[in-house]
Amino acid sequence: MRKICAYFISLAVILPWNQAFGQKEPKLPDTVDIPLKIRAWIEVAGPVIYLTDKNNLSCEGYLSADLNEKIGVFAGGGYANYKYSQYNYDYLSSGKYFKAGVDFNLMKPEKSIGKYWAGIGIHYGLSSYLTEVPAFSHENYWGKITSSISEQKRIGHFIEFAPGFRAEIFKGFTIGWAVTLRKLISAGTGKDLSPIFLPGYGTGNKSLSTGINYFLIFSFKYKTIKVEVKPEPVDETEEGATPPTQGGTTISR
Amino acid sequence: MKEKIFHFLASLLTGILFFTISCTPGSCFEETNTYVKAYFYSSSSGKTSAPDSITLYGLNKNSDKIYNKTVKKQPASFPLDASVPSCTFVLRINGIADTIAFIYTSYPHLISKECGYTFYHSIDTPVYSRHQIKKITLRKNTITTLNEENMRIFY
Repeated sequence: MRKICAYFISLAVILPWNQAFGQKEPKLPDTVDIPLKIRAWIEVAGPVIYLTDKNNLSCEGYLSADLNEKIGVFAGGGYANYKYSQYNYDYLSSGKYFKAGVDFNLMKPEKSIGKYWAGIGIHYGLSSYLTEVPAFSHENYWGKITSSISEQKRIGHFIEFAPGFRAEIFKGFTIGWAVTLRKLISAGTGKDLSPIFLPGYGTGNKSLSTGINYFLIFSFKYKTIKVEVKPEPVDETEEGATPPTQGGTTISR
Repeated sequence: MKEKIFHFLASLLTGILFFTISCTPGSCFEETNTYVKAYFYSSSSGKTSAPDSITLYGLNKNSDKIYNKTVKKQPASFPLDASVPSCTFVLRINGIADTIAFIYTSYPHLISKECGYTFYHSIDTPVYSRHQIKKITLRKNTITTLNEENMRIFY
């Protein structure tokens, strides 16, 4: 008798919960509409840094286009003008650079819905720049020597990995940021006169360079695609954990 | 799988962020001077043998000695004058003086942003007197800030 009572109590407690959960759980649509966009990017960290450091100007702008819900192509360029001075040398570098590559959105389409982006960009960079050391001094046993290295035109190139996040704040306007990790392929100089600053890359005498970019992005939709929503695969462990109801019925046995 | 990718991405971002912050320019801790590093060898045995004492200075700079009766110095470092294509040293090994003249070309080299520029040199076989020195051989004719054997002095 006690067992029968326990059985009914269990059912009374468990069934409404199951129904409630069943009702609350939203049914995922089979497809989701993803707007594919063309975007115009402006990098804002460079000009902001220039307000505090007049020796370091960097302006970048890009265009990108979504190919599908995951992949977008990206191209653009910028201009940098860098001056550095310390007790034993002065250094100047300025030039244009070009970057192009692919951005991969790692978010699920039903979560990104064309508004959010979290992923990684892989870009190739080409920098055409002028480098000059107007004066440097070196001192040793024989005394102090002052010399200079005349202006030279160089072409360098690098690969950039840019993981980051972007979110559409309101229609057609997105903000975002990316941490950039760049690998120098060639600075275009010999090993003795590596550039202290390579436009678009950063510290040119190091094989790795890092940075942070903040973007303001203006976009417009050129196409909408329907993307199938794939259901999450159910783990076996979850299946094992699901039946508290069975656990309830077990009590009644 | 997606979650793992996100975790990896977040870790990567954090790592790069810390790397960026930690790599702000600092002081110069690298070697900025270049020297011809000369090792002493015994001419009889052919093995390395630091002299009992050496004195080294530039020609006409005898009041400004690089080494002054320095005991068991190995190697001896010869600083070259980048403003001229040659320079001569007086080397006194165990009290007996010789002269060594270097002929070279100099070119600037960036050490680092923090340290600035130095001069590297490419030297020809030195010309020397033979009072105490028996022979000088050149091992590596590019003179850099690296710690490597450029020259052997047999005495």
